[in-house]
Amino acid sequence: MRAAARATLDKRYLDAWFLGAMTVGAIVLFRLIEPSWLNSQTLQSIVTQNGPLAIVAMAMTFSIVSRHIDLSPGSMLALSGVVAGVVYRDHGSLALGLVAALGICLASGLASGIFVARLGLNAIMVTLATYIWARGLALGFTNGDPIVVDTSLTSVVNHTVGGFTIVAPLVLGVYLAGWFTLSRTRFGRYTHAMGGDPLGARRAGIRVGLYTTLIFVLMGVATWLASMIVVGQLASAQPYAAPSLELDAIIAVIIGGTRLAGGEGNVGRTLLGVAFISILNSGLLNLGLTDAYYQAYKGAALLAVLSAQILLRRRIAEDVRRRQEHERLLAEARGYA
Amino acid sequence: MAVEARAAAAAGAAQTPLERLRPFAEAFGTLAVAGLLLLAFGLTSSVFLEAANLRNILVQITVVAVAAIGETIVMLAGGLDLSVGANVLFGSVVAADLAVRQSLPLWFAIPVGIAASAGIGLLNGVVSAVIGIEPILATLGTFLVAAGLAKIILHSSWIVVDSSFFADFVQTKVFWQLPVMVIAMLGLYAAASLLMRATPFGRSIYAIGGNPAAARIAGLPTTRVRIAAFALAGAFAGMAGVLQIGQLGIVSSGNTTGLEFQAITAALIGGLSVSAGGVGRVERTLLGAVIVGMIANYQTIRGVPPNYQQALLGGILLLAILVDRLIRGRA
Repeated sequence: MRAAARATLDKRYLDAWFLGAMTVGAIVLFRLIEPSWLNSQTLQSIVTQNGPLAIVAMAMTFSIVSRHIDLSPGSMLALSGVVAGVVYRDHGSLALGLVAALGICLASGLASGIFVARLGLNAIMVTLATYIWARGLALGFTNGDPIVVDTSLTSVVNHTVGGFTIVAPLVLGVYLAGWFTLSRTRFGRYTHAMGGDPLGARRAGIRVGLYTTLIFVLMGVATWLASMIVVGQLASAQPYAAPSLELDAIIAVIIGGTRLAGGEGNVGRTLLGVAFISILNSGLLNLGLTDAYYQAYKGAALLAVLSAQILLRRRIAEDVRRRQEHERLLAEARGYA
Repeated sequence: MAVEARAAAAAGAAQTPLERLRPFAEAFGTLAVAGLLLLAFGLTSSVFLEAANLRNILVQITVVAVAAIGETIVMLAGGLDLSVGANVLFGSVVAADLAVRQSLPLWFAIPVGIAASAGIGLLNGVVSAVIGIEPILATLGTFLVAAGLAKIILHSSWIVVDSSFFADFVQTKVFWQLPVMVIAMLGLYAAASLLMRATPFGRSIYAIGGNPAAARIAGLPTTRVRIAAFALAGAFAGMAGVLQIGQLGIVSSGNTTGLEFQAITAALIGGLSVSAGGVGRVERTLLGAVIVGMIANYQTIRGVPPNYQQALLGGILLLAILVDRLIRGRA
């Protein structure tokens, strides 16, 4: 009995162990190929560069746990930055730009939330539409050219503490808040319930419409925060910014072990997923590959990791099932004796 | 008898006018939208209704429309294929590389290009149906693989295809002054429509998309049919790639950016059920592609910059999903 209990306990952390092993494996592999890679400086730049991804992935965890998905953050990040840039350029006020950008992110999140929660539209399709129109507007407002935003934002974002930029503590804060909200508050509990059994959640009296809308608004806020970091780091608003941010964020959440079917997951796993994606991106880019090889290797690596994860999960489930069957038979045999 | 008749009459009376219109709207709604747009655009622009411009729209939508056949089949089976755009590029790159750089005969290069795309589709099918990765994630992985492989073969360059065979896709007119590639598109739609309506394979795709568990219990080979659906989608992507060589005369890595989303939009505007598989018709996707093509063409005539055209496409997609919901009612 105790062995079976231990097996189920281990199973809970299986995804984390697996991903940890994969991350260490990737680090070792990249170090073998390129020994100079990953010193304290690379580590700092990885954290700085992937801060926006980490923040968006935190909000994506809420979205996926509630059995939705959000394809909008990449395009919205670009649009949010462009709006801030255009307002700053035309009115000279950074504060006004920040507020305008927050406004557009909140409005888009609210609209998606209402479309999904009140009208029952499919989240993939609604946010796919945002993915298309937001990028179109970002490109249209700027004619595809970046806008220089050389302001105090840049010095704030690049301010370093102990070698790490301000982005590192910010990400840590976001994840602590996300962890607390998802696992310790009513909002988090309802997020799990809605993802696990949407109809049941509604029948239990949970205001599904309200909380679903909140989840999309949360993504709006996260996207805004990430876009301000990007604008600060680049000292400009780029209409082509974050071309596949949403895809990296989704992959980070899923590789972290959160199921696409919803109902379970936590932000700690997502942070581990972000770490893996960041290491993979940084390691591949460090090899000096062209865009072509980078894409091909990244795609193959993602397919391999996702496949291995699912096969391992299935194997363990089969193992547990067989052990339970064995114990049931043993108990039966004892009954006869 | 009388009671039953009265009950039936009561049920009929209980239907609101909108509910009675519903089956009709589902069948002819998209056609009505296309007709209205044609009328509106024709009245507000002098060039729009010219035969040359209408023919031009058909040529412009051909590549997306052919790729959208495969996307529709996958979506009908309850999946989603994000790799279509990269796969169109992959097929065209393989065919062009073999034909131009390796100077191999076309009867070899073109089938190999289509087979290469079908291979990516097969990979999609295996990782999603056999291993069990969600289609949206699996096809995201193969999207990267296909785009990467295509760019590797291209050597960060492009291939100019100067061949009379490919040029004839656009230049040779068959009837009503329609070029070969448009006829090919219509033929492929006819074949796909027949496949989905009249063959066991087509019917089992509807069954699996509509209710996978019931389809499995009924004894359908769900895994094999799903793999075949993805492989077929890959083959259609390859054919779209070959047609694109004819249309553009040059193969470069930017040719297919965002094509998968145009294909999905065409399928959705054509009235494919958004939330689940099992509802929709392949031939209506052609109508969806025509609508998207008409809107893009009209915007170009009116001088709307391409970036804002993209923004409007997103808005139109949102509108299509909303109308779909209004017609079908809440799920």
